[in-house]
Formats: sequence, C-alpha cells, structure tokens
Amino acid sequence: MTQYQLALQQLTDSALPTGAFAHSLGFETYIDRGLVRDEASFGVWLAAFISQQLTYSDALAIRFLYEGATVAGLDSLLTAQLLPRQLREASTKMGGRLLEIGAEIFPSAELAEYRELVGSGRAAGHQPVAFAVVARSLGVPLPEALAAYLFAAVTSLTQNAVRAIPLGQNAGQRLLRNAAADVASAVERVSHLTPDDFGAVSPGLEISQTRHERQRARMFMS
Amino acid sequence: MSARGVSPGELTSEAARPDFGAAAWRAPRSGHGPKSGEAAGANQTAREPMGELELVVAERAGRSVATHQYHRGALRVLRPHYLDGSGQVCYVLVNPGGAYLGADLYVIDVEVADGAKLLLATQSATKIYRTPGSFAEQRMRLRLGEGAQLELAPDQVIAYREASYRQNTIVTVRPSSSLIMAEIVTPGWSPDGAAFRYEELRLRTEIRVESEASIGEAGGLLALDNVLIRPPLGDVTGMAFMEGFSHLGSLMVVDPRVDQALADELHEITAGYGAHTGISLTAAVLGTAGLVLRSLSNSTEELKRVLGAATALLRKRWYGQDPLDLRKY
Repeated sequence: MTQYQLALQQLTDSALPTGAFAHSLGFETYIDRGLVRDEASFGVWLAAFISQQLTYSDALAIRFLYEGATVAGLDSLLTAQLLPRQLREASTKMGGRLLEIGAEIFPSAELAEYRELVGSGRAAGHQPVAFAVVARSLGVPLPEALAAYLFAAVTSLTQNAVRAIPLGQNAGQRLLRNAAADVASAVERVSHLTPDDFGAVSPGLEISQTRHERQRARMFMS
Repeated sequence: MSARGVSPGELTSEAARPDFGAAAWRAPRSGHGPKSGEAAGANQTAREPMGELELVVAERAGRSVATHQYHRGALRVLRPHYLDGSGQVCYVLVNPGGAYLGADLYVIDVEVADGAKLLLATQSATKIYRTPGSFAEQRMRLRLGEGAQLELAPDQVIAYREASYRQNTIVTVRPSSSLIMAEIVTPGWSPDGAAFRYEELRLRTEIRVESEASIGEAGGLLALDNVLIRPPLGDVTGMAFMEGFSHLGSLMVVDPRVDQALADELHEITAGYGAHTGISLTAAVLGTAGLVLRSLSNSTEELKRVLGAATALLRKRWYGQDPLDLRKY
C-alpha cells in the first residue's frame, strides 16, 4: 500500500464535510426546465460537465499547481474565470472547508501559507487549489490526484441528482460506473491542454449556472 | 480528423507557460506553433501582421479626439463621427480585404485616455473563411484611463466551413473606467446547410483593473472569459454546450456602478426575448466590478436585439445617451 492511499481516500470521500451536498453546480436549472429528468439525461449532463467544467477549470488548475504555478496566482485566476457568481461561491465555500479540515488532518507549510492568504483577504480559497495543495503535500502523483478529485466531484453530483430528480440508488451506481471512463479520458486530456485553454467552459453550462441565481424553487445553493 | 484541426495531442509540446496568455500578446509566436507539419517554419514563428491599427483617443475641450493614429496593411478606420452631443467619438474599423484567411494576423491597439469616450464599431461582419495550415488570429489590446468610456459594438464574427480563428483580447481598466463590450459569433452558411462546419473558434478575453499604485502587479485580474468551440471534436450542439442553438452573444460590462440591482434589471429586460440568456456578476476588484451576459440563439438579429436592449439601458443611465443606431451612418 502506498503511503498516501488512505489519506487520499479520506480526502476525496463523500463523507468529508465540505458541503458538496448543497451544490448542483448548475444541473438543477436543467431539472427545472425538464431537460434533466432521468438516469439517461443526467448522464448526458454529467458527461458534459466532466469534459467541460471539471476538465478546463478544476483539473487544469490542479495541474498548474503541480507544475509550479503559485497558489495566489491560481486563486485569482479561478476567481476571474468562474464568471457565474454561484459557481465562484460554491468553489470558495467548499474550498474554505477543505482548508480548515486539511489544516487539522493534513497540515503542511504550503497549506498554512494558503490559509494565511485567504485569512488576510489576499486569496479567495478555491476548492481545486486547496485540494491540489493538500494532495501534493501528501506526495500523491498528479494523475492519481486528478482522477481522485474528478471522481469525488462526480460522486457528490450524482448523489445530489439521486436525491433531486429523484433516481434509484442503483441508477446512481450505474451512472458512477459509466462516468469512470469519462473521468479517465479527462485525466488524459488535461495533460495535453495549454494555459490558453484554461477556463474554456461551454456557454450553455455557464448560462445554466447564472440562471440558477433566479430560479424560484431550488434545493441547491448553486 | 483533418490536418487543420487542433487535436490535443498536437499541443503536447507546448509547455505550460506561467503567464497564462497576458505576456504572450504580440510576442513572437514561439508558443503557438502551426498545426500542420507542412506549415511549420520560421516565417510562422514571427509572422508579419496582415493588418495593424493603433488608436489613442483623448479628451479635448469636451470632445474626444484621436491624438495618435497608425494603420498598416489590411486594417484602417473611417473618418471619425460624432453621433450625438455627448462628445463620444465613433470610429468604424474597416478590413478592406473583407475577410480573415489562414495564418492572417491582425493586431489592434486602442487606448482611451482619462475622461475620453470612444465608440468602436466595424463596417461589416468579420468573416473567417477556410484557414488551411494555420488559424486566423486577432490580437487586441484595449487600455482605458480614469473616467474613460469605451463601447465596443462590432458586427458579428462569422466562421465558415473549415475556418479556424483565435481572438485574444487583453483589456486594462482603471477603477473609474466604463467598458461595454459586445460580441456575437455565428457559423457561416455551408453548402450542406449544417451549422457547425468550422474547425475551431477560440475567443479569449482577459480584463484587468489597475490603479496608480498597482501598475505592473500580477493582481487585479477581474475576468477571464474563454470561449472555445471545436465542432470536429464532439457534439457541441447538445445539452450543456450550445443547448441546440448555433449563435452566441456576449456582453461584458465593467464599471464601478455595476451591482446586483443592475443585473436583476437587465435580466428582466432580456427575459422578454426568445434567446436563452444568463447574467451574472464578477467579484469586485479595486472598487469596480464586471457584469457578464451570455445569450444563445439561432439568429444574429435576435442577439443584436438582446445585446442592444441591455446596452441601451446602460447608455441612457450612465452616459445620458440614446440607444445606439449605427445604421444611419
């Protein structure tokens, strides 16, 4: 067993209390419009979310940190790139919790430095950056860190969809199994992207995320 | 896929740059290699712009006037107009060639000095035709001084079959600047009637806020808007991408008066149109903030109406000007 295996499992477990249960990251808008309504239609949305949002924003940010980009620079880049307000808030809410939990169970100098930047208002504290700082401090290689992060995000979203649509528990598990291939190809694609690709999220996803701000009945904060 | 497309594998040699594009503006094209083997060559790494335009507008006794103007090649501006009594000067950008072709590079550098007001429009749509070998590219740098106003109201970009286009825009504003930037991108007609026959559209806009004290610092990034549509690589038409639409409209507004109430008001106005529209606010930077409006439709005219309605409210409220009507000039 590798040294970091159980630590990485704990870090990406859906029981880690970052508040992911409160965020649809835009799919609730599609439920409201009747476009996401069953296992198949949520699967379509999830595949697009993995290949767009999670690839061009979250995963690329994690890769850049591993490759030496500064925490402060990446943090401000994410704040500028996450144009939908609720998406930005989701990232910093979950990121803030991750920084707190990380400081207790996986302390490191880099993490303390990031917390100090956030505490003094010089950074916002985004989830993928906080995750990358912790994962790197644990010695997790980049491909494994990316796969674990993406699959954790997919798991939270699927659990939320199971509650919101609603879907059966077995349907949720089928969705997760099917998403594994999309996560694997996202990890592969991320290694080929360039800085110019950062934040190239599809217009449709962004519009749905901004329209969620004005949705009347909603279960989720984003 | 064809040699003209950008496949991820072909970009592997491009190492991650720490500058994220900003410093690459106008730099030699060493980082952006051509994509097909035959087009690779030294002429590509430092290619001559096909057209260049520099314009500096400053305020002189209540009217905005050009204090510096330079053009070379296939880009120029028409004689300036004053559309109303506001002092705002209107320049119309002209591409005498009529279209962007493969490997064409256009460089535009515009400065609106303290207190000056500029409206920058185009004479016609920017048409991107087949770009075998290498993409067509436009690099634009916009700088706004304190209290400066810049309204960017170009005609639509039309990407035809097998077109590949990159547009890289770097905007620098001061905390009291006012920016309204509209953009519409559409697929051109193709013989088989299908909408998405272009290879790649890449429109990247970076907006920074600088104060007197912060010049040169890395911070102050207000917005990074990156649109990338590559039809050959998968289904771009469907849910969570273009949502069944073919045309994309964007409005980026930066002004210290941007707030949630304005976003709500613009939402009410745009909700009356058939286009699928979303509006949100950026985080505040140095006391100013951005508003981004994105809209999907199957019609250029519909997007013009949506962006026009939003712009009309801002012009009236902030500048005391009537809705923009460029058709009469």
